[in-house]
Amino acid sequence: MSDDINLLSRVKKEATRAWAIGWKDIKVYYLSPPTLMFGIMFPFALFFTFTVGRDLSITEMLPILFSQTVFWAASTVGPVVIPLERRTKTFDRYLSAPMSLCSVILGKSLAGVVFGVLVSAVPLIVGWLFFPFQIVDIVLFSLGIFLSCVAFAAMGIMFASVPTESVGNIMMPMNFVRIPLLFISGIFIPIESLPPLGQVVSLFSPLTHTLILIRCGFGISTYPIPPPVSVCALLLSGLVFLLVSRQFHEINKRRE
Amino acid sequence: MTSAISVTELTKKFGDFTAVDKVSFEVEVGEIFGFLGPNGAGKTTTTRMLTGISSPTEGRAEIMGHEIHSFAAKERMGVVTDLSNVYNDLSAWDNLIFTAKLYGLNRRKREEKAAELLELFGLYEVRKNNVREFSGGMKRRLTIAMALVNDADVLFLDEPTTALDVQSVKMIRNLIRQLNESGTTIFLTTHNMAEANELCSRIAIISQGRIGAIGTPEELKSAMDKMHYLEVVFDHTPEDFISDLRQLSSVREVEQHGDKYRLFTLTPSDTLLELFDIVQAKGVKPHTVNTLAPSLEDVFIELTGQDIVHRGEFQKQKHGRKRGGGR
Repeated sequence: MSDDINLLSRVKKEATRAWAIGWKDIKVYYLSPPTLMFGIMFPFALFFTFTVGRDLSITEMLPILFSQTVFWAASTVGPVVIPLERRTKTFDRYLSAPMSLCSVILGKSLAGVVFGVLVSAVPLIVGWLFFPFQIVDIVLFSLGIFLSCVAFAAMGIMFASVPTESVGNIMMPMNFVRIPLLFISGIFIPIESLPPLGQVVSLFSPLTHTLILIRCGFGISTYPIPPPVSVCALLLSGLVFLLVSRQFHEINKRRE
Repeated sequence: MTSAISVTELTKKFGDFTAVDKVSFEVEVGEIFGFLGPNGAGKTTTTRMLTGISSPTEGRAEIMGHEIHSFAAKERMGVVTDLSNVYNDLSAWDNLIFTAKLYGLNRRKREEKAAELLELFGLYEVRKNNVREFSGGMKRRLTIAMALVNDADVLFLDEPTTALDVQSVKMIRNLIRQLNESGTTIFLTTHNMAEANELCSRIAIISQGRIGAIGTPEELKSAMDKMHYLEVVFDHTPEDFISDLRQLSSVREVEQHGDKYRLFTLTPSDTLLELFDIVQAKGVKPHTVNTLAPSLEDVFIELTGQDIVHRGEFQKQKHGRKRGGGR
């Protein structure tokens, strides 16, 4: 009983401290005008780049916009923040504070999740104001947005765990992974049009599952993967990214 | 007495390079413990390991009886790193509130503490200003205030007064004394000899990753017996006078620096008596005679500027045991 209370108390402490980090990051970094501009404008820019001139209906285009928004918004700011905090040594504050490395990573990811969710409201408002669309399955749509934010925020934090004080050293390898993901996840090329090997590879991309769930939310089910598989895939991706991130930080602590 | 910090064979390796080599020491509760060393000696690396920022390659350390990476140890320590690591995009108030949240203080307590510390450090009037607008001294004060938010039992201060103006230095030194008087154990990393001499109850000197000596400032100075010397200027010096001085039984070594003669001795008073005999016999008049004891700086240079063998022997003298793995 006493152990249970200790464990609960510890979890509560860790959660409040992780939230403190997340909230501070939102205030300091995510709500700054340049970040907001990036979060809102960049997915739209990419969306128009790859949809204008293609013969797609609005119901087909909107899932692409949502997927791109959560993908870029949730994964971009974390990898900028951590090297910056390493350079100013503010990251050391978390390491010497009474909290586990897991909570630090969760706190950092949390800010990306909140930002991703908030920014995904922008295409929702745009879609609702200007286009006649209907969300058929709100649960799958919400799960698609939320779990994707978790997975992509964790992915960003994982790349940010590389021991460097330079943002460029993180962004280059990260974009080396992120951009190819766009091409194998059904964003620009429908998965059904990919060669068989490409279709198999696409299943390992979390972005594929984002698109599947959001499409299901819009009532489009064009690819034969059941939604629960996509939910599990996104959950698993998030967990793997967080664990890898934690491992990287442990290695950094041994090396620094 | 209880140890506030207990360090056993702490080692940090970066590949083949050993930055901290089997360092062991104890800091008692209520001490101001100085950690002195030249740049690159391993001071900051040791501090980073003790504060949980970096993991040791080998060895162990405890804070107030708790393993360094434990929750309990971290809750009892406050850390001021060598850089003023404040959040430039937050106000002074928000910096303190955020730090208090990391240490689990409730809302009422963190607001009280933030106000108290901002008053103490003279930052209350500018509490709402963005820290980016602060001077270096103000940021340093805020960094120290942030380390005090959890009423730490052990406070790690890494070069707290570097690059500060005289008033800020004085204020921070006074604060260190006050904190210590109120029961906080201070671990002060510095390369400022005067500061260590003025503040610390005990000092460890580290060089090339190894502890050269540990003791009170006076113990360290008096341990360097051979560095006591008489500095004499004579009106004239007969031929071979330096050989005559070397013949004095209490003199270990004689050095000539311009017109000054330095007579190194274990017993300055005996040397003085012998000196009077010889000047009378040779018909020489001493113009000035100064008796000089080693400063902490002399001890520091002696210990860090010489071969490790010497430091190993010194430590053996001080602790009655030989360190393992000499190099």
